[in-house]
Amino acid sequence: MLPVGHYRGLSAWTAVFFIFLYLPIVVLIFYSFNANRMVMNWGGFGIDWYIKAFNNADIQKAVWNSLVVATVATGVATAIATIGALVLARGGNFRGKTVSLGLITLPLMVPEIVTAVAVLIFFSAIGMNLGLGNVIIAHITFCIPFAFMPIRARLEGMDTNLEQAARDLYASEWETFRFVTMPLLMPGIVAGAMLSFVISMDDFIITLMVGGAGSTTLPVYIYSMIRRGLTPEINAVSTMLLLASIAIVTAYWILSKKTQNTLNR
Amino acid sequence: MTTAVDIRDVTKIYSPDSSQAVTALENISLTINDNEFFTLLGPSGCGKTTLLRLIAGFEQVSGGEIMLFDKEIENLEPNRRSVNTVFQHYALFPHMTVADNVAFGLERLKKPKAEIKATVERVLTLVKMKELGDRRPNQLSGGQQQRVALARALAPSPKVLLLDEPLSALDLKLRQAMREELKQLQRETGITFVFVTHDQEEALAMSDRIAVMSNGEIQQIGRPTEIYEHPANRFVADFIGDTNFMDGEIVNLSDDLVTCRIGTQSLFETENSGHHKVGDQVTLSLRPEKIMLSVLESNNDANQRPGKVTNLIYLGNQTAYSVDMGDGIQLTAQARPREDGELPFAIGDSIAVSFSTRAMRVLAE
Repeated sequence: MLPVGHYRGLSAWTAVFFIFLYLPIVVLIFYSFNANRMVMNWGGFGIDWYIKAFNNADIQKAVWNSLVVATVATGVATAIATIGALVLARGGNFRGKTVSLGLITLPLMVPEIVTAVAVLIFFSAIGMNLGLGNVIIAHITFCIPFAFMPIRARLEGMDTNLEQAARDLYASEWETFRFVTMPLLMPGIVAGAMLSFVISMDDFIITLMVGGAGSTTLPVYIYSMIRRGLTPEINAVSTMLLLASIAIVTAYWILSKKTQNTLNR
Repeated sequence: MTTAVDIRDVTKIYSPDSSQAVTALENISLTINDNEFFTLLGPSGCGKTTLLRLIAGFEQVSGGEIMLFDKEIENLEPNRRSVNTVFQHYALFPHMTVADNVAFGLERLKKPKAEIKATVERVLTLVKMKELGDRRPNQLSGGQQQRVALARALAPSPKVLLLDEPLSALDLKLRQAMREELKQLQRETGITFVFVTHDQEEALAMSDRIAVMSNGEIQQIGRPTEIYEHPANRFVADFIGDTNFMDGEIVNLSDDLVTCRIGTQSLFETENSGHHKVGDQVTLSLRPEKIMLSVLESNNDANQRPGKVTNLIYLGNQTAYSVDMGDGIQLTAQARPREDGELPFAIGDSIAVSFSTRAMRVLAE
């Protein structure tokens, strides 16, 4: 392949592409520091909207709900995904292995609105109404494939001789998992957990459908704020959500860099 | 002599219920003595690694028994067998230090802390890795990782140490040095070694006894000299070292000599091993180094036959000559260089070829 510098105009196009992608976000962050009440009229620098957002009881409640849902859903989904990945990668050949693998990853391709409607109908059909519990269960279902993929990738890349060596050195199956498989799998598990946490925090459609009054999460609350009229408060809340996401992704990136060489020698 | 490992009628079939069933081992029986350096030798796919994995417990036998010091072990989990394995690519735990790797087996056996510490230090000293106990495996060279893998497998004092081509990932010089060290380590520790390799030179250099395997069956078991000098069949003669094969027919038998006809009229005499009768079609094996090449002289010695050099390959310490003996017989022989370093013969030279009656082997088919 020729070096990229050979293709004339490529860097200009790349710049246009990135501007298209990130300019709206930059504008959003910029106006979150607007002292004016109007979203698009610059009235000088101020952090009033952040203070206002912090003191808004509804926002506090929504953030709390989001954190509870994301934390519980991530924990449960990651545990299920880990067990599933272990069975599929280490369980040898069994009937329905390919089908299982397909079914676990299928939710990634199913349109979210379909899942949302299906889950909503399911809950009302069996008459289940646990408030936030319903939201958590719905989140677990779509978080599993996101947690599953990095865990399985890590397991597939792991040398099975390591587990045999542990068995050979008098470790029981449990000890082999505890002292060899689990520590080596940890970066995959953490990656899966972070991915499902971000996905859960970010989810809108399913939460909107399933969540009743009192189980409003942050994305749903932001949507309802927009319907009442745009204020820079929305920008401030969105910026904080963005910062949280970036923090998690950065943590994941640093972690995976640090542990990469333990697996690939 | 105590028997360390007794393999009785062991068969291993992979995916026996499917249409792609593969028989890796068929009715293998062999005994490995205590304190022995025993080698399983054969080309890839001969079943040697499968046999090792059956002893270690990573695979289940399809039939037969495996005894470890008179205890039946073929149905035990790998962690219940007092054997340890040195893996081909070492399989060191990447998230642990060298010392933690070596201590792993001892910790699972719930040894006291002080004993673990002392043993780790002792075996690391044994493999000359004492200074590097705090390192991670990825900070070590291939040879060093090899030593750690050895130390880790030796630390729990296994009754039998299994080695799966442990030297194959090392470069030539290091491999040769490690051969001597392994042999010495086996003598010092007195542990029975079961060593798997496809490298016949390695097997001859280190082993007390060798089992030559092919296609899931044992071809011959014996001391290195027996295997080399008295190969049981054509496969063994071909796999171990270089040799000349000739097809012939037995035309005469006496008490201690067999006369074979090769080609249309050339007669060769060799020792009678007692398994043949007149008229048998046989394969004869003659090692190149058993053949003497000399200058052709007019006084015709009965033991000498004339030949013509058709090709030569210079190898430094010696030269391999292709010699045409007439009557369709081609032999490869070896000759040392002369004292002035020049080659003794050139292509096209007429020379005399001789070898003792004890040099040629009649092989069983």
